[in-house]
Amino acid sequence: MNALFERLPPNFLPSFLAGMAVNFEIAGIALALGLAFGLLLALARLQARVVGMAARAVVALMRAAPTFVVMFFLLNALPRGAGLSGVMIVALSLVPYGASYVADSGVDALRQLRAGSLLGCLLILPNIARAFFVMVMSSSAGAAIGVQEGIAVILRQAEQMNSLGDMLLLFAIGVACFGIPLQAAFAVIRLVQHHLGRSTLRGREAALTDETTVPIEP
Amino acid sequence: MLVLAAGLLVGSPNPAWSDTPDAALAQLLDEAHAAAASQGACAQPGIDRLVRILCARRIRVGVRTEYPLFGTLKGTVREGYEVDVARAIAHQLGVDIDFTKVKAANRIPMLADDSIDLVIATMGDNTQRESQVRFIKPHYYRSETLLVGARDRRVGDWQDIRGLTVCVTLGNSSNAELMSRGARLMLFDEATTLTERLNDQTCTLAAQDDSFFAYYFNEPSFAERFSDKFGFAQIPWGMGVALAGSARLARSLDLMSQIFHRDGTFLELARKNHISIAFLTQQQAVWARPECNTDTGSTNPACILPPANVELQPTPFAGGVTAFEAWFTRLTGIDLFLPMLKTAPAWGLFLDGVVYSLVLIAGALAATLGFAVLFGAAMGARSWLLRWPARAVTVALQSSPILLTLVITASIIHALVPYSAAVALGAAILALGLANGSNAGQAISEAYVTVRAERAGLPAPRLDLFSRALSRSATQIAAFLINAAKGTPIASFIGAPELLSALTDITSFSSGRATTYTLLLVFYTGVVIGVVWLCHKFQHFLERSRATT
Repeated sequence: MNALFERLPPNFLPSFLAGMAVNFEIAGIALALGLAFGLLLALARLQARVVGMAARAVVALMRAAPTFVVMFFLLNALPRGAGLSGVMIVALSLVPYGASYVADSGVDALRQLRAGSLLGCLLILPNIARAFFVMVMSSSAGAAIGVQEGIAVILRQAEQMNSLGDMLLLFAIGVACFGIPLQAAFAVIRLVQHHLGRSTLRGREAALTDETTVPIEP
Repeated sequence: MLVLAAGLLVGSPNPAWSDTPDAALAQLLDEAHAAAASQGACAQPGIDRLVRILCARRIRVGVRTEYPLFGTLKGTVREGYEVDVARAIAHQLGVDIDFTKVKAANRIPMLADDSIDLVIATMGDNTQRESQVRFIKPHYYRSETLLVGARDRRVGDWQDIRGLTVCVTLGNSSNAELMSRGARLMLFDEATTLTERLNDQTCTLAAQDDSFFAYYFNEPSFAERFSDKFGFAQIPWGMGVALAGSARLARSLDLMSQIFHRDGTFLELARKNHISIAFLTQQQAVWARPECNTDTGSTNPACILPPANVELQPTPFAGGVTAFEAWFTRLTGIDLFLPMLKTAPAWGLFLDGVVYSLVLIAGALAATLGFAVLFGAAMGARSWLLRWPARAVTVALQSSPILLTLVITASIIHALVPYSAAVALGAAILALGLANGSNAGQAISEAYVTVRAERAGLPAPRLDLFSRALSRSATQIAAFLINAAKGTPIASFIGAPELLSALTDITSFSSGRATTYTLLLVFYTGVVIGVVWLCHKFQHFLERSRATT
């Protein structure tokens, strides 16, 4: 292990952290665009027959489109003059996933709101946080088109390693660096969901108590 | 004109003036000048480009602007061997010169649409391009494709590049050769990007003409880090003019090139620009030979070099495909290119890609289901010796981006068995199965806990409880099966020969990228929709089995 750290160049950690920042940047852009499109699609899905059906079809297509293929499609099918950076191409490739996820969660949230459950509606927040972290992980696909994100830095360094053992140790560092914030975020999401769930239950119990104590007018 | 001819004749080893290229050139230029001087000739449509150039007193030449030693533009200063060749030609014609920036992708279209008169832009003469452009013979340079990589990476021959990422430029005729040798290609528009990507280690190797790398190997910082591994695909470079309306211009340039070789003009310009002179030295000797130093030398097979043969065997239905493309374009106004259907190698790659993709998807689904059951059983086991390792592996797999999981799996497998397409496919199936199966397994184990809690105190065999847990987690299992199918294209990253890999290879040596990748998106989206439908059927089957138990 020590030998591995000795072989890592001094700029490895700053490069890796800068790479991870790119992962978060990509996920942030994708989430912002996904929220904009997804919420519009969610509203459309609750509309009258034709609009609703069209929105459902669009969401189904977006859900089925593999991110990696969308990325290569954007890279090769867009006119060269579009001038999109690698980061933007990866972010855009995640938009179909983000938008369809937000649309599905948005429909659930709107239904909960219409049913009078504000807390049920608020469950969309942890769901969107989960989608954000899924997109952070998925943004590593950018390594395939030369985007200098975290996994690209790890893979670049791994090519300099002579033994499989060193390589696996380096990969383990990468997994840990991605895993710790991810697992911590999921733990927070579970806590928030737990809290919202308990609040919902308490709300229902309070409502039931109110119903039983409200005096019935003669 | 006689002065020019006399000047060109100086030093000529061939004394028979009437048969020399010098005499032929002098006569041709005299005729063209006379045509240009005649009343109203310059305004006539369809005149030969040579006459038009003399009328305008300008020649429009397409050159590279980012190709060190051959064609660069720094501020307003143009430099390089090709720039100097263009200047020498303009000087001989007695006209000014308008330079235009061209790239590999647009240099031939710009000739065809009459944006330029002449292209001198690192263009290799091959059998495919011979039908698109009139190449000037003799050729003004010859290059070979060089593979360059880090000094400490041992690459001796073709065996060593299998599975490695090789960065190339789009449209390079040697891409097909690299692809057929098992290299994974990463495509870029500009050659200069290749050295940037080598420097930041995005590319393991880069392939480009030796002429391109010559400049970089002159830089100590580059030469210290990188070395050339081996060269292949020698190809002569030719100036080009449009096929139509350029007969006299082409003939004059043929003759001029003969003279430039014989008299050492090309050689002198090469020395000035510090490029390799081996080919030009040899050519000077060739064009000084009596049988070549004639007005017909440029058509003598004993003197000129043949174009590189890159013709790909067409498919039996290539004609029909071309007709369909034309019909579709007429009908919709959208340019449609289907390169995967037109040549035998591309068609073979395409078919293999489709089959491998379907095998990969089927394998990933089966592996996901298998690992889901294994992880579910292990995480639901009474013994902590099974439970905790399974949970630890699941957390690790959840924490690893799928690309990294894929690379880790491939690295371990490649350490055990030699690389092959089948091994890459197997590694991808294993990685996708592990990543998605562990998540689905976690869902099964959580369902198992709830089923066991509900049946507390009631006698029930473990197998029965487990099958109920499978039914209860059907939605999650289906979701991760769909996720596995959606993830299969990423297998191309480790060299699995699925459709994305195949089409990337096809587009590296053919046109039609937009159509190709649109079809790829349609294919995978369609397949995933099919998998979603199947998974919902499977989910209903699992749920029905719960209802009946």
